[in-house]
Amino acid sequence: MGKAKEVSGAQALVNSLAKAGTEVLFGYPGGAVLDIFNCLTDAPFQFVLGRHEQGSVHMADGYARASGKPGVCLVTSGPGATNTITGLATANMDGVPLICITGQVPLSQIGTDAFQEADMVGISRAVSKHNFLVHSADELPETVAEAFYIATHGKPGPVVIDIPKNVQKAMTAATYPERVSLRAYHPECSASQGEVQKLAKLINEAKRPLIYAGGGVIASGAAKDVAALARKAEIPVATTLMGLGSFDEHDPLALGLAGMHGSWAANLSFHEADFILALGVRFSDRVTGKLSEYARHAKIAHVDVDASSIGKNVPAFLGIQADVKDLLRVVDSRVHAAKHGEWLAKIAEWKRKRPVAYKPLHEKVIMPQSVIEAIDRATDGEALLVTDVGQHQMWAAQFFRHNQPRHFLSSGGMGTMGYGIPAAIGAALANTGDPVVAVCGDGGAQMTFEELVVAVEHKLPVTFVVVNNSCLGMVRQWQELFYGKNYSGSILSVKGRAANERLDQDLKYDYLPDFVKLAEAHGAVARRVIDPAKLDSVISEAIRSRKTNLVEVIVEPRANVYPMQPGGQPIGSMIFE
Amino acid sequence: MNEDIHRLNCFVENKPGVLARIVGLISGRGYNINTLSVGPTDDGTVSRMRIDVLGDDRVINQIVLQLRNQVNVIEVTARRTGKKARA
Repeated sequence: MGKAKEVSGAQALVNSLAKAGTEVLFGYPGGAVLDIFNCLTDAPFQFVLGRHEQGSVHMADGYARASGKPGVCLVTSGPGATNTITGLATANMDGVPLICITGQVPLSQIGTDAFQEADMVGISRAVSKHNFLVHSADELPETVAEAFYIATHGKPGPVVIDIPKNVQKAMTAATYPERVSLRAYHPECSASQGEVQKLAKLINEAKRPLIYAGGGVIASGAAKDVAALARKAEIPVATTLMGLGSFDEHDPLALGLAGMHGSWAANLSFHEADFILALGVRFSDRVTGKLSEYARHAKIAHVDVDASSIGKNVPAFLGIQADVKDLLRVVDSRVHAAKHGEWLAKIAEWKRKRPVAYKPLHEKVIMPQSVIEAIDRATDGEALLVTDVGQHQMWAAQFFRHNQPRHFLSSGGMGTMGYGIPAAIGAALANTGDPVVAVCGDGGAQMTFEELVVAVEHKLPVTFVVVNNSCLGMVRQWQELFYGKNYSGSILSVKGRAANERLDQDLKYDYLPDFVKLAEAHGAVARRVIDPAKLDSVISEAIRSRKTNLVEVIVEPRANVYPMQPGGQPIGSMIFE
Repeated sequence: MNEDIHRLNCFVENKPGVLARIVGLISGRGYNINTLSVGPTDDGTVSRMRIDVLGDDRVINQIVLQLRNQVNVIEVTARRTGKKARA
């Protein structure tokens, strides 16, 4: 390695990030990271200034999901650090590789309640895969290398590096290590010969097989291998929310989304299958419903890189800790080409009988589902679709024909409102070439709207579609169905609010904010659509303009997400309208 | 539910914050630690933790697997030590 020149800890950090392959750094400055920001101006990577630390982490998250590379963000100590928690939890639940660097007060002041001091290592422990408090500048390059390794190996996740200010100022000659070797963390895994044989036997003997593909298929880059297996052995494929795009929904074998808002055909397939090959899924409660009734007739083979995920919620007949792609490549030669005509005919009948569909409630009012279909048409299914959280998220899952991995970005596990706008900006900066369209509700859009400025500043060709139903739709839907239509706290317009919210009914506006004016104030081009006949043209013009655009679509507020399998209930209890 | 006391034997890297991480993982999932002891081993860079937790086999297995996922955990084993009379 030779004798390296001494540099400051801050410079060593910037050099290490560059060595680790960082191309874009997201973040927000502050007192405890001034030394690092001082070195950034000469860094070989781009810096993107967010407007709130939560936004910066979601941007890094969107960048990571779109590109497959770890997202990196840098914030200051105290409130800067605590503002990242929601973003870290979001990435942690969905297994997104992220490096979050937080400033910290000098080591000598830790524990003194110093200005902008927060115990970030303590606070972030439960929402990150791992975290580090760096004690000396000499440790910095190695710590960065380890953080990138941990974030991207095994089940990916966010790693926090907390760096005290005196460590940033101290001088060091330490260099970036060639190789990372962690004493206790060895996530490499592969299937044994016996496991491969057993799995092939289960696949070959199954009469009513089903592939259940999750986010792990996308993380592993196994979409092509899943498609090859499905076609060779004629196995239908259902996906989780995180797995959307792992299998082309134009394919007749595709069942689309499974679970609470999954199709009847997908959910019934779980009930009737005799073998389920679960790939990179965790059997979330949003998918399984009542556990004792779930997939009762099926032998389940569960494949995941994370051993603790296997059998956690649903017992596995065969559990294999392995990378999905590696395993499918090995098992391929042992799987026989097969036909399951009877089984597929049954599924086709279910699809025909109860397709995922909706009926207009009023001919002059836009149905929110049609907004998603318009985006699909305008981009010919090529959009990189980013969602916020709520009803529109489920409609985006249901009514867009997902066909490529890393083209549906959504906060699945955490369900973080406010994710959509910043994540779309991060995805656009990953520059995959496909048009980026963010779909947000009027509730979630208001949580992180300030980040729109970033898209405008960087001239990002993102179309932000605000599906405005003047209420918190998913909350309203649950209140309608399960809480006796008591719309407490869920109505955003002035009219229709509960009496105890005590709003002056004579307010000049029935609804605030005016999203068009708000977007224009942020420098974006904005339009509002009310007429169903104009929806397609406005959406497609906005996307084609390649400008930062906002389209506010006023939609039917009474629309609900169907079908719906209420939480904790068995399949037979699905609600259709 | 067959809830028994299980002893978890953990060998972990002797680094700051590791105890908090292990204890947080167990308590954060709603399981109560009955007893806990931490001590050195012949190797100064490795500590040993003995943790007694009440739970059925499925719960204990899940805790063991999640502990093994931790970056600082070298080895974990669990064994049943005794039944707890149900209240």
